[in-house]
Amino acid sequence: MTAAVVTGVGGWVPPRVVTNAEVAARLDTTEEWIATRTGVRTRHWVEPGTSTVDLAVLAGERALKSAGVTEVGAVVLATTTPDRLCPASAPEVAARLGLGPVAAFDVGAVCAGFVYALAVSAGLIGARVAESVLVIGADTFSSILDPADRGTAMIFGDGAGAFVLRAGDSAELGALGPFDLGSDGELADLIMIPGGGSRDPAPEPGDRYFAMQGKATFQHAVRRMATSSQAVLEARGWRADDVDWLVGHQANRRILDALADAVDLPRQRLVSNIDRVGNTSAASIPLAIADALAPDPTSSGGPLAPGDNVLLTAFGGGLAWGSTALRWPAVGQA
Amino acid sequence: MTITLEKVRAVLVASFGVAAEEVGPGVTLAELDVDSLALVEFALIAEKEFGVAIDEEEITKDFTLEDVVSLIAGKRAHV
Repeated sequence: MTAAVVTGVGGWVPPRVVTNAEVAARLDTTEEWIATRTGVRTRHWVEPGTSTVDLAVLAGERALKSAGVTEVGAVVLATTTPDRLCPASAPEVAARLGLGPVAAFDVGAVCAGFVYALAVSAGLIGARVAESVLVIGADTFSSILDPADRGTAMIFGDGAGAFVLRAGDSAELGALGPFDLGSDGELADLIMIPGGGSRDPAPEPGDRYFAMQGKATFQHAVRRMATSSQAVLEARGWRADDVDWLVGHQANRRILDALADAVDLPRQRLVSNIDRVGNTSAASIPLAIADALAPDPTSSGGPLAPGDNVLLTAFGGGLAWGSTALRWPAVGQA
Repeated sequence: MTITLEKVRAVLVASFGVAAEEVGPGVTLAELDVDSLALVEFALIAEKEFGVAIDEEEITKDFTLEDVVSLIAGKRAHV
């Protein structure tokens, strides 16, 4: 089957930097407590009026520039925080990028959204529905955070990241695959926004906030990302030691460390920018890669060089998880 | 493999930077000053080292080292 090949990468975070000192003052905790528990030292939050579509457009622009293209056949946006509950945000992103009447839709798999969106996009390319796809992960979690919730308010940041994919051959650098995707809806309550959906359309104000059971999430995240990573390694014919860079969902620095330990990979091979941007949900994987490709990398790990073996793995609410792999192509940040 | 105090102690020392002499059989995890996430991290490491699944809610900070050994040994007996 035709493979989906990465040809462009872009990332964007809003300019406002929120320090641990600012968050700690509101949460009755200390800067060091936050850093020790999460690995996050700063995150970026939007100013009022800036939305997920705004972030997605800016990351999408950069990815298109990085790929050297002005047209794509489809736009797929992974997000948990669309501008409105209806319609999907991807059509507006496509329109604002001047991409014309292309196929455009959202994918909802929370923090695993970008890997799911890559898999869906690879399917569109494989089925010749589209010759190229702009895949974006964008989230504005500051819009759904309970400012008084220590379990979430200190971890999440806003941001967007994007890849451009085109049809190609599976032997090429940049070809994605195989994919491993999975879910466990029995644990849907672990990570959720209780109200505002069809089950509770007129919720109490507090039920509009994102909620997460931290400890249980930590354990499931490590187990699922480890198992899913191993499935992709086996299918690709790589051993753990063949992996040059592991780009895991930037959930928590300690989750990433535990993940590296679980798959027998030195922690130095983790690509991570969580200290600077926090957990940006669907944006985290492409944003970490974009930062690792910057001329002066702002993430630890990298820079990624052409030919490097890269493993991507993500986990989030649903539960949903997914992984894939590629040999890094000659792609730089725009 | 028999689960011994020494093996569990070795995991705690290697993974959480606790001094070996601090880890007596009756010392609780709380007394070792590990935080709540460390309990999860310990469960994940024990899963890999000792081949048993320990859910995060099964270990609390009030567990002594002996309690941890009993929990793991009990699970292994049912494997």
